[in-house]
Amino acid sequence: MERMTAIQVHGLRKSLRGFEAVRGISFEVDEGEIFALLGRNGAGKTTTVEMLAGFLRPDGGSVRVLGLDPWADRAAVRARTGVMLQEAGLFPDLTVAGTVDVWRGFTAAPRPRDEALELAGLTARARTRVRQLSGGEKRRLDLALALLGRPRVLFLDEPTTGLDPQARAATWEVVRGLAGQGTTILLTTHYLEEAQRLASAMAIMDEGRLVASGGMAATLAARGGRVSFPLPAHVAAGDLPLPVTVADGLAVCRTDDPDLASQKLLTWAAERGLRLEGLEVRAATLEELFLESAGSAEEAR
Amino acid sequence: MSLTAAYRLGARLFWQDKAMVFGSVVTPVGLAVGIPVLMRHVMPEGVAAATTIFHGMLALLLSITAFMNITVTLTARRDQLILKRLRSTSLTDGQILLGQIAGTATQAMAMIVLCTVAVRVLADVPLPADPLGFAAVTVAGSLVLSLLGAAYSAAVPRAELAAPFTMPVFLLAGVSAGAMGPIPLPDRLGQALDLLPTTAVVDAVRTGGLAGPFLVLAGWTVVGLAAVRLWFRWEPRRS
Repeated sequence: MERMTAIQVHGLRKSLRGFEAVRGISFEVDEGEIFALLGRNGAGKTTTVEMLAGFLRPDGGSVRVLGLDPWADRAAVRARTGVMLQEAGLFPDLTVAGTVDVWRGFTAAPRPRDEALELAGLTARARTRVRQLSGGEKRRLDLALALLGRPRVLFLDEPTTGLDPQARAATWEVVRGLAGQGTTILLTTHYLEEAQRLASAMAIMDEGRLVASGGMAATLAARGGRVSFPLPAHVAAGDLPLPVTVADGLAVCRTDDPDLASQKLLTWAAERGLRLEGLEVRAATLEELFLESAGSAEEAR
Repeated sequence: MSLTAAYRLGARLFWQDKAMVFGSVVTPVGLAVGIPVLMRHVMPEGVAAATTIFHGMLALLLSITAFMNITVTLTARRDQLILKRLRSTSLTDGQILLGQIAGTATQAMAMIVLCTVAVRVLADVPLPADPLGFAAVTVAGSLVLSLLGAAYSAAVPRAELAAPFTMPVFLLAGVSAGAMGPIPLPDRLGQALDLLPTTAVVDAVRTGGLAGPFLVLAGWTVVGLAAVRLWFRWEPRRS
């Protein structure tokens, strides 16, 4: 059976208070897919999500979620989607369980309370008042509320911001599990690593535009990397087997394959009886990726 | 089903919050019961004076427990991004607002009933001669004032300004209904103020005539619905 397109965005634009936050972006998300919208703060990710979820009316272009216009058919879209906003209020005096119960009242055929709490890893905190939760726990309560209605499409705006590594991994598990059951998930993040681990498709947004999307983003993300180490005394940069740049005594080698490069360097050092102490191998950060994609855009002009 | 859930949420949050209940009960009840009781005991025609002033007090009860309370509640929920979150559920905008309006109107009605009984016991103010008519016009008044308060929240820039922004409404309602005693007003102004929804309710209770007051309330309902549609804000202004 052919997969349906769950989200279609075409030429989408939005200005907020005279600032052009989203400047004509287009992408599609298939049903059951996890799509990551990557970008730095202020790139326009949240504005995009709020248009997809029907909170903001686009200035131009079109959005379709499950074939419906989220602004014009808001009631129909809301009933089929779950939203985890980046910022939204909770009732501080209700308990975690009480909050879920109240929300179940708003939802047709909701998940049982205990199931929602377990999915979000909040079972042990059920009797705690919301005002006593940590930032990360509030984020997980957000997730529990977004999942209550077993939505077909889930919008998650920075779902793991403020979570510790363990809670982040748990959230990833939940997101993967939902996608496995056919839920379409669009999430925003500024962690490249998160997008790479979770998403089957991604787009990178910068200054309101998509600077890379689909396969290109994945390719960019897969290839960027760097090896760095403090340059040992009596070694000149020119002696090394690979081209490096040196700043403040730190040698940095940018490469498509950082693992291979580090092997080469370590072999070279071993042959000479040197130790490259403090050697670090890293995949590209989002920041570096931007520099690269901006650079290649310049070249293309 | 979802509408009742929204209604129950509003009620639960109000009655659980002891400070909120105390704050929104003590002033209106103190005024609406205390002043008539005072009149009863210091004026020569005690019962008549107490009755007149109590009927005027209905305008203050409505403007505090319906209008001001819903304006304060909705601006606070808007600024805390709670309205925005409610909108991310499958509740419709209409259900969210109607749930809150019905909840606030219920509180206002509870207060009116409480005060009506209290002034009967403490100041011999007679119970309404036409209980059904009284109930109909006070319920309608509570709903209309709650609707208008919801619409008015759009004019309040920030939550902490909600109370001062509703003060003028409270004063106008009180002056027009005679709750502040007889204040001489220019004819034109007096006639204009007679069109206030609070004054319409007081007129109906005083005279027993329902047609005119209900026409006025119907007019304000249209105004309130149109204002909500045009201007209601679900989120704080973005800086």
